Amino acid sequence: MPVLDIQSLVKRYRNGTMANDGISLAIEEGELFGLLGPNGAGKTTLVGQLLGLLKPTAGSIQIDGVDVVARPGYAREQIGFLPQAQVAMDDVHIDELIFAVARLRGLSRSEARARTEALIERLQLSQFRATSMRAASGGVRRLAGFATAVVAPARIVVLDEPTNDVDPLRRRLLWDAIAEMREEGTTVLLVTHNLHEAERFLDRLAIIEHGRIVREGAPADLRSVVTERLRLEVTATNGLQPHPALDCEPDRPGSYLFDNADLVIVSSWLEERRKAGEIVDFRIGPPSLEDIYAASVGADTP
Amino acid sequence: MRFLTQYFELTRLQLLSMRSDVFIISLINIAFVAGFIFGFGYLFGDVSSRAGAFLTTGVATNAIIVVGLTMMPQFLAEAKQQGRLDYFRSLPISREAYILSLLTVVLVLSLPGIVLGLLTGWWRYDVSFDISPVILLVVPLAVLSLGGFGAAIAILSPRLQLTNAISQLSIFYFIFFAPVLLPRENLPTALQRTADLLPPTYAADAVRASLTDLEGTHLERSLLVLLGFAVASIAVAAASIRRRA
Repeated sequence: MPVLDIQSLVKRYRNGTMANDGISLAIEEGELFGLLGPNGAGKTTLVGQLLGLLKPTAGSIQIDGVDVVARPGYAREQIGFLPQAQVAMDDVHIDELIFAVARLRGLSRSEARARTEALIERLQLSQFRATSMRAASGGVRRLAGFATAVVAPARIVVLDEPTNDVDPLRRRLLWDAIAEMREEGTTVLLVTHNLHEAERFLDRLAIIEHGRIVREGAPADLRSVVTERLRLEVTATNGLQPHPALDCEPDRPGSYLFDNADLVIVSSWLEERRKAGEIVDFRIGPPSLEDIYAASVGADTP
Repeated sequence: MRFLTQYFELTRLQLLSMRSDVFIISLINIAFVAGFIFGFGYLFGDVSSRAGAFLTTGVATNAIIVVGLTMMPQFLAEAKQQGRLDYFRSLPISREAYILSLLTVVLVLSLPGIVLGLLTGWWRYDVSFDISPVILLVVPLAVLSLGGFGAAIAILSPRLQLTNAISQLSIFYFIFFAPVLLPRENLPTALQRTADLLPPTYAADAVRASLTDLEGTHLERSLLVLLGFAVASIAVAAASIRRRA
């Protein structure tokens, strides 16, 4: 039985906006599952319903078989949550915040203190422990927020853009902490725009657009869905005119997509241009998650 | 037991989150009440001891009104806008504990103004107080009632700007058009009737009844009305937080 089972979830706001339109997902214990999609796709609405902050128009959400639409309090007991917006606690020191949330989530005083100390150590926040949330940098605030989400045992941890503003070193610590949680059986639902991290760390993902899931699966499986397209990365001298079969990407100079059927033509053209000294190096590979994402959400993606 | 732990931790968290502001908020509140006591003296000239007692108890009530009906709604409206309210809603905590923790913050922030207001009145107008232990019930009940009313306004109001406008207008109303600082009989009938519907009228009456021997007070009635307002507004605020859009 999946830990989190969402079936035919519909959320229509009073103003008529259809934010979720028949979403179904089943997420297993210990799975690291990602929700991807452009702004306004319906990811936050989905999380809001999961946490019992919003009421679905139709459909069901179950955690370990418990109907959390009927019992939103149960969902809040089972879910640790890091919101996308920084937790605005102005003058609260980082260690005070983690400790207080641990207590609010039901840990005893001694347990809360031990968990707080462990997380401060783990996320290398010792030098910031007495820094107020107002004075801390964006990355440190994010890590403190992450610590509050995981300070107490939870069946599911929902992390909305956890690595935003976090420096590369601490980002690694954070991913290590997430990996450890998974090993202990915690299910992680990650809302992210970071496709590189999604490709690297997620077990499975769903791409949401206009309130619907347009793709779902493991990153590797999703890549095979779009095998009709290949990616070409070229290091060229100035003045290279791309072959007509190549689709240029305005934001990524030297990067092209082309149809699998044109592989022979493109390969011959690449060899010719290399001999002519116009191409220094090139690489042809499968599409990245970014390609899958772009193919899934369309050209109007921000 | 869990409720008490949550209430205690939430109160601590709210106070810690404004630790650098507590002093300045208290100072503003003290300046506000002292300004009223001295200012009315300049306005009316020779204020009798009884008029001074009326004014002083009204100003002490006003210290609660300022925090409960202006700062509390603005604080909560900001919490809504900044996502802090939703963050607390996402935690497995009692909604009533959350509201009560905010009201405790109102009490803490009001106390310096109440005490300093009474002391300033005693010193400036030679007010002789007739202190009843009931004041220990009156002040928390007034805070629950006025702060709960403020919380309900903030939570039901759709926008921060609207909340700010309502709270600023309410303070103006309670200073100039309500029987808090002014005797009820000096107000036109329409304002008397309006005042009968609002909790600050009963808070001022209960404060007067428990601190002075002024005539025309109705302690039991005021306590009952304040209790009713407190229960109703906390229930409305908690239900609004609990409600899923």
